[in-house]
Amino acid sequence: MLWCALCLPNPCGTESLASAQHGLALWALQFTPRVTRLDEAVLMEVQASLRLFGGAVELAARVRADSPALGVVSVAWAPTALGALALARAERGEVGHACDCGGGGEVDTTPLAERLDALPFTVLTVTAPLADTLAQLGCRTLGDLRALPRGGLTRRFGPALVEALDQAYGLRSPAFSWVTLPQTFCARLDLMARVENAMALVFAAKRLLLQLQGWLVARNAGVTAFTLRWQHDGLRPQPGEEGDALVIRTAQPMRDMAHLSRLLAEQLARVQLAAPVETLILEVDSVCDYRPPTASLLPDAAEDRDALNRVLERLAARLGAQRVVRPVLREDARPEWAQQWVPVSAPMRARPVSATVRSEGLPQPTFLLPEPLRLAVRGNRPLYQGELQLLLGPHRVEGGWWHRVEVAGGAAESRQVARDYWVALSAHAGALWVFQTRVAGEDAAWFLHGVFA
Amino acid sequence: MTSPALVSSSRLADLPPAVAASVWRGDDLAVPTGAVVSSGWAALDAELPGGGWPCGSLTEVLSPQPSLLEWRLLGQALRQVTADGGNVVLVGPPKPPFLPGLQALGLQARQLIWVQTETPAQRLWVTEQLVQADTAGAVLAWLPQARAEPLRRLQSRLQGGRTLCIALRPEGARSESSPAGLRLLAQTGPDWTLRVQVLKRRGPLHDQTLVLPSVPSSLEAVLSRRTRLPSRCLALPDGARHAVVRPVSAEPLRH
Repeated sequence: MLWCALCLPNPCGTESLASAQHGLALWALQFTPRVTRLDEAVLMEVQASLRLFGGAVELAARVRADSPALGVVSVAWAPTALGALALARAERGEVGHACDCGGGGEVDTTPLAERLDALPFTVLTVTAPLADTLAQLGCRTLGDLRALPRGGLTRRFGPALVEALDQAYGLRSPAFSWVTLPQTFCARLDLMARVENAMALVFAAKRLLLQLQGWLVARNAGVTAFTLRWQHDGLRPQPGEEGDALVIRTAQPMRDMAHLSRLLAEQLARVQLAAPVETLILEVDSVCDYRPPTASLLPDAAEDRDALNRVLERLAARLGAQRVVRPVLREDARPEWAQQWVPVSAPMRARPVSATVRSEGLPQPTFLLPEPLRLAVRGNRPLYQGELQLLLGPHRVEGGWWHRVEVAGGAAESRQVARDYWVALSAHAGALWVFQTRVAGEDAAWFLHGVFA
Repeated sequence: MTSPALVSSSRLADLPPAVAASVWRGDDLAVPTGAVVSSGWAALDAELPGGGWPCGSLTEVLSPQPSLLEWRLLGQALRQVTADGGNVVLVGPPKPPFLPGLQALGLQARQLIWVQTETPAQRLWVTEQLVQADTAGAVLAWLPQARAEPLRRLQSRLQGGRTLCIALRPEGARSESSPAGLRLLAQTGPDWTLRVQVLKRRGPLHDQTLVLPSVPSSLEAVLSRRTRLPSRCLALPDGARHAVVRPVSAEPLRH
């Protein structure tokens, strides 16, 4: 058995001890299902999970790195629950006795009895009310207490004291009520100080995201949408300004904290706070099953794709989803409607349109102007950076009589085209795709529409 | 008395092989540490260190104007990249890319991503983010205005990575210093050719112009023998003006 005790300060800043413990327990559930609350601490039993997290040393390093953000003030590891708690309390130094035996968040292999014997007896919860009497008996440490006859101790102080001592030293195993995983996630954080800058909320939200990560790992899920709400301080009770919210969506189920907090930062960068913020609330809107990345030695195509998706998501968060796009082919002969750009985050159609056959054998440019550009004409020849040489053509593109769009004023305008496309050469601009068409009131006009770059 | 060259080569032989391989002497072409992607022309490959476009190093392609020859020059390499499963990300192209034409090059819709940007700072930021992800794909960034420092940052982010990153820049940038490992000047020539000059590479100075045959791939099937050499058949006397526009190719179009 390997227990880890995570001690919270009591009283616990602005938030109540219960809510801090709840958040910490959520985070701890990612390591093991055996998590329990005891007094002011959260205890977890991790023996069965050691291999998954790369051994006791790795796990201790990870706990030490993440736990301060959740408000934990001391961490200790021991083979029994009460032993770990006693060591954690001793390390916190509240008992007024500097301790160099077993705390510090490291896993210590010294026998537990040796480490506990040296601790002051006040580290156990049951002994705290008896402190005066025990001190008058000449006890200072747990070792002194243990040296007293058990029968006498039981008669004088009741069975609870001896039982707690046995539990701490591993002679008897206590029963715990384990923390169960909630079905939904909603975490709340009262900020230490009023926050006036939206970007500063990113740092405050880190604690909530850590809890979210623990909850997701424990549920074996990844988040696809979550909401960050903030409430303004109560000093400004203006109607409609109690707070605001931000919904973050991800393309793939995600539990990587660094990525989630970067997405949050990109979105918060655009937020203007109406008033100082007092409270943050993180809610999960939807989750999906999460497939963790395969640990492979060789570079993996799927891993590459995930890395690219993550960076594209970040780009879309800053630039807007409409600006990170991929093409989709449409069945249309008119080049403007032959392709459509859709956001990368939109789901891909399983079966792509088989429009490739249509364009085969016909010249197709590689760049298309967003709008055809009217060309000047000299002596019946179109001009674009000099006179154009018409090389190949004409290729007739005609259609779209069925395509009518509403324009301003309620009238419908036809998008019918009747064009003769040519491949033209320009001395400076390379190979161009131009077309000739009739325009209202004139004979014919030339337009530049694409480039064979 | 031994010549300096002999001394240095004998010292090179004393080094462990792994170290000796990474020593580059200025008079021969360097061997890049990362992968390379063949450009598709043997003549160009022979002039590029390692025999192709380098991955994990910034390459600059200068051209007289944007959207002139990008796909003709890089198409073969991009086809290779996508065949290996990589994505091609375009950052701020001068005009919207046209998929049917790119499909003729061998690019697939699902492997093409267009990132639309507005400001030069955005282009650089986007390119940097993409490069940092270090995926096995290609990033084509049109960077008409970029100073040396951001490019240097780009180059250092790229170093040792797998991304094929090509910055497309105007010819005017030729006089500016550049941290790119490879720098080319590409222009169009007559009769479907590209004229390429290697301005900077890890190797001896290259002072010739390579003439590379390059017909846009969607025209490959439709060009006739005559239209493959337009300068010979179509040279119009300056005074000649036709009252009616007619196809300059006398042959009927082959489908």
